[in-house]
Amino acid sequence: MKIDDMRHELAHLGNNAHALAVQILGNVDDAADAVQDAFAQALGRGHQYKPDRGSLRAWFLRIVRNRCIDLLRGRMVESDSTELLSDPAPGPEAITEFAQRDHLLHLALASLAAEQRQIIVLRDYMDLSYGEIAAVLGVAGGTVMSRLHRARVALAKAYREYDEQ
Amino acid sequence: MNNRTSNEFHVGELLSGYIDGELTQQNRQRVSQHCEDCERCRQELVALQSMRDRIAASRLSDIGEEAWRETMNDTTVKATRGIGWLLLIGGVLLAFGFAVYEIVTDAAISTMERLIIGGIYGGLLLLFLSVLRQRLIEKKTDKYKDVEI
Repeated sequence: MKIDDMRHELAHLGNNAHALAVQILGNVDDAADAVQDAFAQALGRGHQYKPDRGSLRAWFLRIVRNRCIDLLRGRMVESDSTELLSDPAPGPEAITEFAQRDHLLHLALASLAAEQRQIIVLRDYMDLSYGEIAAVLGVAGGTVMSRLHRARVALAKAYREYDEQ
Repeated sequence: MNNRTSNEFHVGELLSGYIDGELTQQNRQRVSQHCEDCERCRQELVALQSMRDRIAASRLSDIGEEAWRETMNDTTVKATRGIGWLLLIGGVLLAFGFAVYEIVTDAAISTMERLIIGGIYGGLLLLFLSVLRQRLIEKKTDKYKDVEI
């Protein structure tokens, strides 16, 4: 793929990448930084992308996810903590428009585990195929449906609980 | 894959595969037929589909493609500038090392000349290191570094 074509495609994927990064990092600005870093990595390693081995979207989102995980590890080192900080759910300020328009759904989504938020966003928001989701998350393709179903059931349950409060 | 409750089978995770169009024809028919008879699975299917539609209709990021394009350009500029600085500093250090080597090994240069040239080079090196150190300290501690003018 030509570098200009890749730049065009990556710019088009920016918002999806940012949405995923927000679910992992829980912060809009950190997520934007992660996406910027991922752009640099993707453009620097563009020759490693092989279209016959998967979509550019899945390849780039995997880079974004890995960058987010690196940033989370950095946070753990900075805070000198051995506790896992990898589940910072997006706060009310993180997804303002979404939070205002569908507040209960936002709360329900934020209450899920990070892995569940990611798989729901990858499928229901970005419309990735199960194969692409497996590539992004680095899991076996055969486990995507069960993981996704558990996440959706958890989301529906959380939503009902917030709705009843 | 199937969940057994009381005396019937439910289709469980196949509901998600059904919603996403990721099932084989056989499993798709199985879910359809099951939901015709099973009120619980039919309701779960509707609830999951509703959640899916609402997530799909939401906007989880609204930065915009043009902004990402500019971000990417900034990234390229930064990377190019970084490589440029690396090449420049590497070249200067090589030239400096080569000059020192020549001065030390060239028998035609007297001790006094070596001292004078050594003083000039040493002074330049100290000044460079001093400025570099100051810049690094400022970069770390400048609280206004992110303020755009």
